[in-house]
Amino acid sequence: MTSVLEAPAGKSTAYYERRALIQASARGTLQKRRRIALAIRIVFGACMVLTLVPLVALIAYVTKRGVGALSVAFFTHTPTPAGVPGGGISNAIVGSLILNGLALVIAMPIGLLVALLLIERRGPIPNAIRFGADVLSGIPSILTGLFAFSVIVVHTHYSAYSASVALAVLMLPIMIRGDEEAMRTVPNELWEAGLALGAPQSRVVRSVVVRGSIPGLVTANLLALARAVGETAPLLFTAIGSQLFSTSLGQPINAIPIVIYQDGTTAFKDLQTDAWGAAFVLMVGVLILSIIGRVFAARLTRKSK
Amino acid sequence: MTGDTTSAVAARIQQEVLAQDHGAVGLLENAPAAVTLTDVAVDFGSVHAVRKVSFPLVENRVTALVGPSGCGKTTVLRAINRMHDRSGGKVSGSIRLGDMEIYGRDAQPEVIRSRIGMVFQRPNPFPTMSIFDNAVSGLRFNGIRNKTVLQEAAESALTSAALWDTVKDRLDQPAIRLSGGQQQRLCIARALAVEPEVLLMDEPCSALDPISTSAIEETIVELASEVTIALVTHNMFQATRCADLTAVFLLDDHDHIGELVEYGMTPQIFSAPSDPRTELYVTGQVS
Amino acid sequence: MTQQLDSPRQLLAQRRSSRSSGRGYALLLWTAAAIFVLVLAAIIEGILSQSTQAFGHFGIGFLWHTAFNTVTNQYGAGQFIIGTLVVTAIAMVIAVPIGLATASFLTEMCPRRIATPLGVAIDLIAAVPSIVVGLWGLYVMQPVFLRDVEPFMKKIPVVSFFFKGFAAGPSYFLAGFVLSIMIVPTMVALSRTALAGVGTADREAAIALGATPWQVVRKVVVPGANSGILAATTLALGRAVGETIAITLLIGNSNLIGHPLSLLNPGATLGSVIVLNFGESTPGTLLRSVLLALALILLVITLMVNIGGRMIVRKSRQFGAL
Repeated sequence: MTSVLEAPAGKSTAYYERRALIQASARGTLQKRRRIALAIRIVFGACMVLTLVPLVALIAYVTKRGVGALSVAFFTHTPTPAGVPGGGISNAIVGSLILNGLALVIAMPIGLLVALLLIERRGPIPNAIRFGADVLSGIPSILTGLFAFSVIVVHTHYSAYSASVALAVLMLPIMIRGDEEAMRTVPNELWEAGLALGAPQSRVVRSVVVRGSIPGLVTANLLALARAVGETAPLLFTAIGSQLFSTSLGQPINAIPIVIYQDGTTAFKDLQTDAWGAAFVLMVGVLILSIIGRVFAARLTRKSK
Repeated sequence: MTGDTTSAVAARIQQEVLAQDHGAVGLLENAPAAVTLTDVAVDFGSVHAVRKVSFPLVENRVTALVGPSGCGKTTVLRAINRMHDRSGGKVSGSIRLGDMEIYGRDAQPEVIRSRIGMVFQRPNPFPTMSIFDNAVSGLRFNGIRNKTVLQEAAESALTSAALWDTVKDRLDQPAIRLSGGQQQRLCIARALAVEPEVLLMDEPCSALDPISTSAIEETIVELASEVTIALVTHNMFQATRCADLTAVFLLDDHDHIGELVEYGMTPQIFSAPSDPRTELYVTGQVS
Repeated sequence: MTQQLDSPRQLLAQRRSSRSSGRGYALLLWTAAAIFVLVLAAIIEGILSQSTQAFGHFGIGFLWHTAFNTVTNQYGAGQFIIGTLVVTAIAMVIAVPIGLATASFLTEMCPRRIATPLGVAIDLIAAVPSIVVGLWGLYVMQPVFLRDVEPFMKKIPVVSFFFKGFAAGPSYFLAGFVLSIMIVPTMVALSRTALAGVGTADREAAIALGATPWQVVRKVVVPGANSGILAATTLALGRAVGETIAITLLIGNSNLIGHPLSLLNPGATLGSVIVLNFGESTPGTLLRSVLLALALILLVITLMVNIGGRMIVRKSRQFGAL
């Protein structure tokens, strides 16, 4: 053991020269480096403001115009022609609920089953399906509208259920990938536990995996729904819109995005007001869906901690 | 015993240890301290992590910081180069580098960190950089662009970290292709390239296999001639193998806040500790 | 990621064969998969088969001809492809740097108690439907552009080169700008995830060497998040190319390329021309086939963005270390 008494080993002059050079550089360039860091921070902060200002302005403006358009009649009446007061969008609200509800009913089970397939099996087919889901989630929504049109509408006529099919196609890839991610968070030990109990595979999946990942599944499906609720383009070739109150799946039906698109581009002030009211209702609905989805996601991450 | 302030305990231990070697007393007292900690405490919000820490890092010596997990030794180490600035830890007391107050009003954290290097628990070379770029990254951060200087510094630092011969022919390869032990050597070289006065090592071998560990330990001993080293370790054998001096941290029995209980020359601490709590710890009766 | 070993699942798959209840379950899984594959195939087949008439009639020149005349039945895709690319380019030029800067600011340069709520807010705003953004663009941004922004752009040297002629309201520039507002939240949300994925250990290593916060971002965090940022950009690009309805409200829907070439001109994109004309086209006509051919081109562009982006991301992951 060396003693503390011994003097430190001598160092070469070159060593001390380099240390002096480095320390001088560190000190000498610090002010400049800090100034750059500060300047960048200011510029990036300004970029954040640039991001936020239009978004906040957008929400504020839609809220201002939208709240002014709301009334009891707005929620309970069907549309009236331009210039006739007392119209509402009740048929569009009910229509959007029907369209998206049916789309959810179609897409949810398929999405969950395909996700289960992706989780349980491996090989070229599941990989190809996963790739297909990724690609489908990237294609423009208008193309899903064209799909529903050429598969259903061409052979029948404009209808609510053709629009639901278009929306379901839109939801499907989001659900598949979201459900898969959600179920991947279920740890292997749970699968092992189910297996050790000797349960058949379908039971293990139902009782352990699906139940264990319910918050994640809810999030994935809600986000898919939130995406579909606001879509307009696919509805224009399928549900097409209607002035009447309809709950029939085989008939054209109105929807909130259609009201915004059609009334928002007319020259009539009262219809424009309806469009703003509809935009507000849609925005609030989508935000509520997203917030609920996020709450479930947050619960999931808290649990996994 | 608990009534004494830790600094007083440390001072007394110092005297007692050195009293056995009369020549040494004066010299340790006069031994140049690269870093001096006086009554240091670190708090995270309302949580007190460690307190009453006073000891020097003697120049060009290895000082081990040992103690059970959660006793604040890493927290103290990270206080020395102001790594708590980011994590919201509040450091009180005084830490001096030479005659500069590290938490003084004029102190510049970036400059302090260029003078006090750090090696972390897990090897963390920059994954997007080559071996060479990793080695000279600190120099570049500190504004050095001169190619000759960079090359000389890289060779010198990699040599000091005993990695030069292994990597001199593949300096442009990604650093993450190296093995774990080599990555940790690269991290040591990266810290050394800035020619720091002090090197802080936070359990540098905890993620490594035994062979890499003993190789790194050898390197640590050799490095002591160049740089003052503070070595946090949970491995008491590592402390006896590498460190000239040892600081023992333990949790206070009552409020479970970390404290420095003993500081002195390593053989003394492990063969004849003066604090009964140290004895329990080094004999493995406290973990 | 998807190749990780998960033996219990595979074990379950083996057990399946010996159990009759498992057979029905497997059938269910594969049926769902078959439906999904059929949907994919039907989308592509439907668009392909109906667009052959247009390509047969006009040949490959359909891609660059710039005609759209329902009276003389002269059609080309050129102006719509250009319109789509121009609007997308404007949106990306604005959204990518601003989104990246915002994400860096939120993850690296501001206190967490500010960053977290702002990040969540931006995530939520990303969900606001594009039709709502489009309506706002039409009523709020269009007057502002006409009165202030466009005259201002005309005064900036170099930039003014792109702003010739008269501003009439709807334009490539307005559509591209509002589109950028739509994709910035996507860009921010995804790059924030990518930047946050860079480990604390890497950041601390740089800080401990004396790096300033900007040096940490520039030399360590951004390079480390490279592939994630690329993926974010690709997704934002895909969204921009595919956005239809808001652009239809804002671009003016002129089926001709205006003269002089200027971002102030009204134009049309692949999506907007389909939206506006599809309802009026009758099955079997050349116009219907032309619209489907435009849809095919849109599909090919988005597939190229998606698949190309995916390949670039994979490559940058492989060689990210260099």
